[in-house]
Amino acid sequence: MLNDVTFGQFYPAQSFVHRLDPRLKLLALIAIIVLLFVADNFYSLFAVALVIIAAIAASRVLFKSVLRSVKGILFILVFTAVLNLFFHTGEILLCEWWIFHIYLESIIFTVFFVLRLFFLVMASSILTLTTTPVSLTDGIESLLKPLKYIKFPVHELALIMSIALRFIPTLIDETNRIISAQKARGADFESGNIFKRIKAIVPILIPLLISAFRRADELGDAMDARCYSGSKNRTKYKKLKFGVRDLVAFLIFAALIAGVVLLNIYCEQIFPEIYQYIKIR
Amino acid sequence: MSEDFIIKCENVKFTYAGSGRPAINGVDFFVKRGEFVSVIGHNGSGKSTLARLLNGLLDADEGKITVLDMDVSDGKNVLEIRKHVGVVFQNPDNQTVASIVEDDIAFGPENIGVEREEIGRRIDWALSAVGMDDYRTATPARLSGGQKQRIAVAGVLAIKPDVLILDESTAMLDPKGRREVIEVVKKLNKEEGMTIILITHFMEEALLADRTIVMNKGEIALEGAPDRIFESGETLETFNLSLPRISVISNNLRSAGMEIKDVLRPEELAAEILKNFNNRGIYEGQSNKNTNKDICRSKEWDIDISNLTYTYSKKSPFAAKALNGIDLHISEGEFFGIIGHTGSGKSTLIQHLNALIKLPQAEKKYRKKRVKKGMTAPIEPHISVGQFDLSNKKCDFKALRAAVGMVFQYPEYQLFAESVFADVAFGLKNFNKKLSSEEIEQAVKSSIEIVGLDYEEVKDKSPFDLSGGQKRRVAIAGVIVTKPHVLILDEPAAGLDPKGKNEIMELLHKLHREWCKTVIIVSHDMDEVADNCTKAAVISKGEVFACGTPAEIFKRADELTALGLDIPLTSKIAAELKKHNVIIESDCTIEDFSKKVAEVFEGAENA
Repeated sequence: MLNDVTFGQFYPAQSFVHRLDPRLKLLALIAIIVLLFVADNFYSLFAVALVIIAAIAASRVLFKSVLRSVKGILFILVFTAVLNLFFHTGEILLCEWWIFHIYLESIIFTVFFVLRLFFLVMASSILTLTTTPVSLTDGIESLLKPLKYIKFPVHELALIMSIALRFIPTLIDETNRIISAQKARGADFESGNIFKRIKAIVPILIPLLISAFRRADELGDAMDARCYSGSKNRTKYKKLKFGVRDLVAFLIFAALIAGVVLLNIYCEQIFPEIYQYIKIR
Repeated sequence: MSEDFIIKCENVKFTYAGSGRPAINGVDFFVKRGEFVSVIGHNGSGKSTLARLLNGLLDADEGKITVLDMDVSDGKNVLEIRKHVGVVFQNPDNQTVASIVEDDIAFGPENIGVEREEIGRRIDWALSAVGMDDYRTATPARLSGGQKQRIAVAGVLAIKPDVLILDESTAMLDPKGRREVIEVVKKLNKEEGMTIILITHFMEEALLADRTIVMNKGEIALEGAPDRIFESGETLETFNLSLPRISVISNNLRSAGMEIKDVLRPEELAAEILKNFNNRGIYEGQSNKNTNKDICRSKEWDIDISNLTYTYSKKSPFAAKALNGIDLHISEGEFFGIIGHTGSGKSTLIQHLNALIKLPQAEKKYRKKRVKKGMTAPIEPHISVGQFDLSNKKCDFKALRAAVGMVFQYPEYQLFAESVFADVAFGLKNFNKKLSSEEIEQAVKSSIEIVGLDYEEVKDKSPFDLSGGQKRRVAIAGVIVTKPHVLILDEPAAGLDPKGKNEIMELLHKLHREWCKTVIIVSHDMDEVADNCTKAAVISKGEVFACGTPAEIFKRADELTALGLDIPLTSKIAAELKKHNVIIESDCTIEDFSKKVAEVFEGAENA
C-alpha cells in the first residue's frame, strides 16, 4: 500500500482499522469527540480512552507516531492548562499568591481538561494515520451526499479536495526546487529578524504562485479536453463498500458507546465516596 | 469523399486576444481516418494553437473546422467532438486530477456518463494499451516522467477517441520516457487504427509518421512524406528548424564526394556508406586514431568527490538511496557532462557540489560516531571544490555558492523580481553586500550582455514579459553574475526547440571560453553530450558507471543500452560499420565522424 500514499501522516500497514470504510471511521471519530465532551466524570473519560487504545492496538500503528501528533498541540495544551489552573474557581483553596488562587477543583478540572484534549487529538490521529487522504476525501464526499438536495455543490467540493491532494506533492517538489535555486543564488532564509525572513520568502512565493496559476491553467485545459462539464450526467467509478468487517466494527463500536453513556449516567452509584472527588462541575 | 476525412480545416485563421500577429493564418488541413500525421515547427509557429482549435478549446476567427462532419464552432457539438478527439498535453504533471492512477483514468469516462462496469473495463484496456497494467493503484506523483505521460495517454484513451493529438507530449521527457510514449503511439496507430496527430519538435519523432506538416509563422510551409520533407534541408533551416542529425551526416558525406541517399535510420545510413566503400573496393578499413588533446591547466579549481552516499528521508518508511558511493574527479577547464536518466541520482549529486545538500560532517548537529571495538570506522564521504573543503563545518558556504554557480532545470521558473535588472542583481547583492551601485550595474550589464540580450532594451522590463528563450537567458545571467569559477547546469536545453537548443549550447561554450573555468552540464541527451563535452560521467543507480571522454564512454554501447540509456547517433552508425570490419574511431561529434568516414573513403582513392 506504499503506492497510494502521497503525503500527510498515513502510516502504511495492513490492519483491521486500515481497511475499514472511511465513512465509518469518520463517523466514529465524530462520535468519540461528542462522547469526550459529553463525559462529565473520569470513569466515562477513561472508558472512551479504552476505546481509543483498543483502536490503536487494532490498527498496528506505532504508539510513538500517535504521540507525535499530540506533540503538535503541546503548546496549546500547556497554555490552557496553566490558565485553567490559576483562574478556575472552586471551594477548597489549596494555596494563594497575589491574584492567583489554586483550588482542589481547579486541579481536578485541569487534569480532566488536558486528558480530554489529549484523547481528542489521539483519536483524530488514528483516523489520519490509518486512512489515506484519498479515501478520506471519498468518505467525506459520500457523507456529504445528502446535502446535494439543498443545492450544495458536493461533487465540486470533492473534486477540489481531490485536485488539491493530487497537487500537494507536486507543489512541495516545486517549492523545494525554487528554494534550492534561490539558495544557490545566495538567498538566506535562516538568519535575520522576522521582517528580514518574511522578505526573504518573496523570491520563493512569487515563482510558486506564478507556477501554480500556470498549472491551474493547463489542468483546466486538460480537464476540458477530457470532456469535463460539471456534475451533470456524471457517473462515478469508485463506490465505497460497507462490508461485513465494517458491520462488525460498527457493532463493537456501538456497544462501547452505549457502555460509555451508561457509565456517564450511573457511575455516581458505583463508588459514591470516590465520585464526589472526581466529578467535574 | 467526405467521410474519408475525419478532420477538415478550411482556411482557418486565429489571433490571440492582445496579439497583433495571427497565430494561425489561413491553414488548410485534412486528416484521413487511421492516418499518422506529424506536425513540426519552431516554438510559436502555431502548432499548439492548431491542436486547441481542433477540439474546441479555442474558437477559430475565420474558416471552418469540422470533425466527423460536425462543425467545431457550434457550441452544441463541442462535448461530442471532444469525445472523438483526445489531446495529451506537454506537462505530464498538469494533466492528472486524482492521486491514484485508476481514479484518474476513470475521470474522462465518468464525465461522459459511462456505466461503472464499463469504466472498469476501459481502465483495464487503457492501462494495457500504454503498458502500465501493474500501476493501477499507484500514485502518479511517484512515477517517472514517461510513466506519468503514459498515464495521461491512458486517461484520454479511456474516452475511446478516434483521433489522438499529442501536443508536444514528449518535450519534457527524458529519452527513455520519450521512447516509451512514442512506442505506445505507434502501437495505437498500427493495432487500433487510431488516427494520430503528433506535434513535436524532435525531428526523429516526426519521421515516424505517414505524413509530416511543417508549420511556420501560422502557416503550413511544407507538407508531404517525412523523407521528402527532410530532403529540402536548407528550406527547413529558414523555418528555424534543424535537420535531423542523420541528414546532417548524409550531407557532410555527400560533400566529401560520396553518393548517399537520404535515409532515416542509422542502419540504413551504415548500409549506404558500405555501398560506397564497396564500390571503391574497400572491404575493411580503419580511421586514424584521435590524439587526445590534454588541456594543460592549473589544478586550482579541481573538483574531488569520494565515497559520496546519500539517502532521502532517512529513518522513514519511504527511505530511498539516491547515491551509493560516488567517486569522481572533475578537472579545471573541462566541459563536463553528467549523464543518467531520471532518478539515477544525478541531480542529488550536483546539489552536493555547492552544498545545497550538505555532507553529514558539515551539519551543525554532527557528532562523530564512536566506533565499536573490532569494527572498522565507516568511510566518510568527502568533497572538495578548489580550496573549499565541503566536509568541514567551518567551510564558507556562502563564498562557495558564489564560486560554484548552479542553474536548475527550467531556470526561468525561478524568476521573481519586478525587473530583469533586479532579478539578475539578486544573487550579486546576496553574496556581496558592500558593492557600490556602479559596480552592481557594471556586473549586471556585462552578464546580461554575455547571455546575448540587449541590456538597455531589457533591463527595466518585467522578466515575465519576455519570451521563453529570453527568460532562460535572464535566469542564466542571474547565476553567472557573480562570475563563478564552476558553472553547473541541470538540463540547460530542456523543453527548447532544436534551434533554441543549439543557441543555448553555443552560449555555454562562450561562457566556458570567457567567463567560467569549468562548465558541468547534466543531460540525458547523448548527442548533446557527444557534441559538446570534453569529458563525461555516466551515473546509474547512484553509482558512477563510466567516466572518460565521450569516445571512451560510448565505446561501451551495449552496456549503456542495457542500462536503458541511449548512445549518440554516430556511435550507432559506427557500431553498424564495425560489423562489416570498418572501424571508425571518432570523438562522436558529427563533424569528426563525417571527416573520419570521408578519410577512409578518400584513403582508398589515394592508394
